[in-house]
Amino acid sequence: MNKDIQISISQKDEVSILYIKGDITVNSGETIEEAYRKVSNAGAKKILFYFDKDGYINSGGIAILIGIASESKKNGQTIRITGLSSHFQKIFNMVGLTKYTEIFPSEELALKGF
Amino acid sequence: MIADNKIELHIPSVMGYEKTAMECAASIAKKMGFTEDRIEDLKTAVAEACLNAIEHGNKMDTSTKVGVTLTVEKTKLQVAVKDEGKGIGEIQPPHIEDKMEGKDKSRGWGIFLIKSLINEVSFESSPEGGNITKMVIYLEK
Repeated sequence: MNKDIQISISQKDEVSILYIKGDITVNSGETIEEAYRKVSNAGAKKILFYFDKDGYINSGGIAILIGIASESKKNGQTIRITGLSSHFQKIFNMVGLTKYTEIFPSEELALKGF
Repeated sequence: MIADNKIELHIPSVMGYEKTAMECAASIAKKMGFTEDRIEDLKTAVAEACLNAIEHGNKMDTSTKVGVTLTVEKTKLQVAVKDEGKGIGEIQPPHIEDKMEGKDKSRGWGIFLIKSLINEVSFESSPEGGNITKMVIYLEK
């Protein structure tokens, strides 16, 4: 477990929610990937990543998320994202992650119609 | 170290210390009157330049340092990030499609982000050795 990050997992109907508190970097990547694989191995097809609005995300962290997005595409899963600050919403859009994931302003809206 | 309008700091070549330079730059930009949005852009650019210097420039050699110089001017903030390495050559712009399909490694977004977020950026070799990433952000974009 990386001390820069804490992840808790919950289930709401068919959606697996990963609550991620902390920094998204190469150092915390393994913890994020482990959490993703845990829900994936349990058969999750709809996954919501709930990020920390005050968390730090760098290019290494973006690469980790691209890797997860790529794996989810192969697994036929849908990923939604919430909790991001407006800055990181812009960054996700710039790098093209929003072509493969959808960003929502709140958990409630992300779960609606998921 | 502070000299007139210049602030210099040196961080170890260890991942995570880029946040020290990032917070220092953000604090100065806030005092200068930059908007919150532009401060966030600056933070990401400074962090990425430091990460490149730590990882690619200094190859995470803990005996080396990354030097960060912040120069405050009336209408702009200049940030120079210097490593002790030999340079990493030209980097092609990343494409997420290639990364999603496994045709390209998923890393390599740092320079793309710096160029996207900062008004001016240049990459130079220092006469004393090492590489310098010079960035300029203007008070009004």
